[in-house]
Amino acid sequence: MAELVALPKAEEEATEREEGGVTPAETEAWMDRALAMAKEALENGEVPVGCLMVFNNEVIGKGKNEVNETKNATRHAEMVAIDQARDWCHQHKKELEEVFLHTVLYVTVEPCIMCAAALRLMKIPLVVYGCQNERFGGCGSVLDISSATLTDMGEPFQCKVGYRSEEAVEMLKTFYRQENPNAPKSKVRKKTALSDEVSEVQ
Amino acid sequence: MEPDCKRRKTAEPNDPSGWEVLPVLSERESQGVTLMPVYVAPVLDKKEACRVVKEVSAVYPLGDHPHLKRIRACVSPNSPHPLEIILCLASSRQEQDGLRSLSELFPSGQVDLRGLGEPFLALVPVHPPLTRPQYEEAASHWPVTFHENKRITQAISGSLFTPLEKAAMQKHMELAIQVAEQGAKKGMKPVGAVVVDPISGRVLAVGHDCRDGFNPLLHATMVCIDLVAHSQGGGAYCYKDYPACTFLELDHQSDRSSSSGNGIPYICTGYDMYLTREPCAMCAMALVHSRIERVFYGVPSPHGALGTKFHIHSRKDLNHRYEVFRGVLEGRCWSLTQVPVLKESVRDSP
Repeated sequence: MAELVALPKAEEEATEREEGGVTPAETEAWMDRALAMAKEALENGEVPVGCLMVFNNEVIGKGKNEVNETKNATRHAEMVAIDQARDWCHQHKKELEEVFLHTVLYVTVEPCIMCAAALRLMKIPLVVYGCQNERFGGCGSVLDISSATLTDMGEPFQCKVGYRSEEAVEMLKTFYRQENPNAPKSKVRKKTALSDEVSEVQ
Repeated sequence: MEPDCKRRKTAEPNDPSGWEVLPVLSERESQGVTLMPVYVAPVLDKKEACRVVKEVSAVYPLGDHPHLKRIRACVSPNSPHPLEIILCLASSRQEQDGLRSLSELFPSGQVDLRGLGEPFLALVPVHPPLTRPQYEEAASHWPVTFHENKRITQAISGSLFTPLEKAAMQKHMELAIQVAEQGAKKGMKPVGAVVVDPISGRVLAVGHDCRDGFNPLLHATMVCIDLVAHSQGGGAYCYKDYPACTFLELDHQSDRSSSSGNGIPYICTGYDMYLTREPCAMCAMALVHSRIERVFYGVPSPHGALGTKFHIHSRKDLNHRYEVFRGVLEGRCWSLTQVPVLKESVRDSP
């Protein structure tokens, strides 16, 4: 905790945020990493979303979708990353708000309505994302939770959109083209389970 | 306000417990009627009506607005003409340009204009009515067709649930209130949630708001969703500091033999959630992701996402919808929001 650089002063932070909060070079570097994570997820048959939470040029949380292993449909990459960043705060004995107010989220896909609301509640000021999320997006695609006026719901946040969006979209398309082995039981699922059992017996 | 009177009449006698379950309809169902301008002409000669309707409809079909009846009998018995017919939609631009004559509206002569009077602008409902109050409002502007959704009508009149079902609802909401009070004793916001399997009547999870502990996102709904995940052998958080947050240990072995597939339900599919107050956008969307079946809450919240600020449960553009009812034990849920929270020192997570 001692070697950590002091937080920028409030005024400096304000001007920095007006200019978009992050430099194009930072955006590229962190988004490249988020995309690499999404690609890895796709290769492992998981929802291809990658995200990083960056505080003071340090990654304090990163996430991938953990819905299937936790059997909890709210375990999106962003929610997992928020938990990691919270743990980081506890480990470094820092107040959540003091850290989250100066943290940027880099994510390959627009956060869904739930995650956008969670990011507001955590008071993250800036979210950089790749492509739109037409099905669930909470930063304008379905609802605009990011900038809505909502009492008792944290603070609105800024969005910076579009870096390497085609690649992020392409990965999602590839994923949704595949049969989702984790969808609710359907005939297809039952058949697979059965044939698995059969092959195990054999 | 006729519909209101009706509602009161049916609600009072079978309501000994002093609360009423009200459906939270979709935005489209609960909003007022929106109107658009159309050109209308009087039909001066009743005998021409049939032919005129046929010819006008051929030139200007009202394809996107099939609920509009083409012709209406005049409102006033003293009217000099017996019928009026919708000729065509008037765009807002046309509205600015002012009235157009019959020959301007039918320049190519496909319509024999005999029997029609001078066109005028009228306002008609844009959408088909979905509820009886909407139908009544819409029909006051122009005759429309109405395919009544019996279920919604029943829900609005308060007759959707039997006294037995209401008794079960009350029991589950009492449990939610009780756990909220236990949470409040731990310094948490007094919000409680209960997940029930409506088929078996079993309570699967009971949880209170934990946001003032180590995690600001642990609203009661999120806690309960995670407790259900625990009951299915998953889960993301540990609740050892909050013993009031509990779940039912499912007997996977017996469940497996009784149902098809792997026996463990897919997240919250088919389940009901009872909440002492309306959830926020995060929680409402978490319930979409969790495929909840129905939500019952006590009182609305200023930032609520199930009827107040948003209608996240009933959006066509999301991949799951669920039914929402409010008002269950409303009075007690309201008192609960007024419970002063015991502020303990902010606890650090272990």
